[in-house]
Amino acid sequence: MQWLKIALRNLLKNRRRSLVTLMAVAIGFAAVGLFRGYTANTYEGLRQSAIRGEGLGHLTIYKAGWAAHAHGDPQSYMLTPAEIEKIIAVTEADPHVLLATPQLHVAGLVSNGRISNIFLAKGVVPADYRTITGGMSGMRAMQGQDLSPEAPFGVLMARDLATQLDMPPDSDGVIMATTLDGQMNALDIRVSGTYDTGSDATNDKYLLLSYAYAQSLYDTDRADRLIVLLDHWRYTQAARLRFEQQLTAAGVPCEIKSWEELSLFYSKVKGMFDMIFMFIFLIVLIIVVMSTVNTMGMSVMERTREIGTLRVLGLKRRGISVLFALEGALLGLLGSLCGVVLNLVVWAVIRMAGPSYIPPGVSTPVPLVVNLLPVAMLVLALFLTLLSMAAAVLPARRAARMELVDALGHV
Amino acid sequence: MLISMSHVTKTYAMGESKVRAVDQVDLAVEKGEFISIWGPSGSGKSTLLNLMGAVDRPTSGTILVNGHDLGRLSDNQSSELRNRFIGFIFQRYNLIPVLSAVENVMIPLQIQGVSSGQARQKALARLDLVGLSAVARHRPDKMSGGQQQRVAVARALITDPALVIADEPTANLDSDTALQLIVLMREINRGQGTTFVFSTHDPRLLAHVQRRIRLQDGRIQDRREEVADAMA
Repeated sequence: MQWLKIALRNLLKNRRRSLVTLMAVAIGFAAVGLFRGYTANTYEGLRQSAIRGEGLGHLTIYKAGWAAHAHGDPQSYMLTPAEIEKIIAVTEADPHVLLATPQLHVAGLVSNGRISNIFLAKGVVPADYRTITGGMSGMRAMQGQDLSPEAPFGVLMARDLATQLDMPPDSDGVIMATTLDGQMNALDIRVSGTYDTGSDATNDKYLLLSYAYAQSLYDTDRADRLIVLLDHWRYTQAARLRFEQQLTAAGVPCEIKSWEELSLFYSKVKGMFDMIFMFIFLIVLIIVVMSTVNTMGMSVMERTREIGTLRVLGLKRRGISVLFALEGALLGLLGSLCGVVLNLVVWAVIRMAGPSYIPPGVSTPVPLVVNLLPVAMLVLALFLTLLSMAAAVLPARRAARMELVDALGHV
Repeated sequence: MLISMSHVTKTYAMGESKVRAVDQVDLAVEKGEFISIWGPSGSGKSTLLNLMGAVDRPTSGTILVNGHDLGRLSDNQSSELRNRFIGFIFQRYNLIPVLSAVENVMIPLQIQGVSSGQARQKALARLDLVGLSAVARHRPDKMSGGQQQRVAVARALITDPALVIADEPTANLDSDTALQLIVLMREINRGQGTTFVFSTHDPRLLAHVQRRIRLQDGRIQDRREEVADAMA
């Protein structure tokens, strides 16, 4: 306890120097903590956006060989009604599965009678798709009506595509595509509603139509994929492995992709933010280490005679190292505590101000939200405390190795 | 015998030349003695005290303290020996500035791992012995030089050492305070049987020592033994 007292009082004795180091640790802590909170919120948003907003669900099941061969021979690598039934039976037996639903993605031309444009469309079971999108569907600006069994040829058209074709809700048009047998097929459509996909890249291409109508367009009774929605994203990988084994055993060999693999943004944005985080973290690490080494180095210089005295009184070399390491740790700990306060203050200001911004490639403003991560803050405080302690070890070892006679004679 | 020095030499390198700070010294100190080492500046007094206090190592020769051959001790063993058997008083007091008087006195016991409560109790008793109970909570910068040196005496005595080594303990004190300190050390020497070896260059203090050893150019010049009845 006496050693802790000496360490603490020495820090207080050199108030100005200690304060500068404390602030360096505190600002570093707050910078890392706030950015970590921001990325956590962004990852959460992107995850929700991928699973719910993009309608990817947690897992997408394809027939084995789909990725490699479907381009040349799609029909052979689509799921037959019997296979769909088996997959749904296997997956829905799992306690974590909320829903398993077939989809057929189609592409072709959409025309208003005067001009045409290409489209990419998802053929979905409307009720199941609403379950998948859940609360996210309400967040996207939409005009008109949703997909409904009462309007079998109704489609939802992405905002920019509707603008380009001048097709507001309740307007009629035609979609055209080649069937799986290579015949040209055209179907009438009525725009039930228009919606915002959330991305500039897809807002001028996307359509949503019913699963049955998509099958009509391709003249098939098959689906190209089956979407599985789980009760929590954490079960994704475990469920994937389980289904791969179970479906192979059931005689329906499949390839399964997770939402992370299929999402347009998640992996790329996460990779970029992780890199920025590492960069910020490294800068903070260098600042903390250099500040602590500098402070402790000056402290060792000034207290050489004190070190000699303690050694003469019987304190071993290790004791001197521990004494200075304690001072370093205290700097890290107190700096982290100041960092927690600074983090909370900035977090509260952001929460009150509620700023928003439009990220690149996104069509609507996104609120700037920073999550509070108590566990991550605790880990960071522990890390910075240990780091400061480690940074103090170098000057402490130098202090401990001093010749006693030289240390006592130091002025 | 408490200290036995045999053919002890300590050489320092000064640039390219070598200086013999202590040269072939033979010395024996019995338990309970009150000894002064005196001589001009640079005569080797501090070096001799550092050697017998296990603060420094001889270039050659043998030093036995309380039966321990200092040349054979590891750094940690030397630290333990200093902590348990030897008390130190320094010319410039060498108190820890951020600790109060009582906390400074507690240090040697706390190095041993004695609990704070026990160490504090014993430290207060030692401060009482040197007449400083009233300033137990004061920090060094709030005390006079004489008070600080008394705190250093209390610190040197806290572990009940067999030997107390004091290097010029009165050098920074006025003559009255210096005399009071020597009287105090002599009383403790007589009352508790603690051996004191201290260096001084003040001839007035030599009258109060039991035995004085004169050092010149690192060699002992005379070994007159005197009984200092002036203290009685």
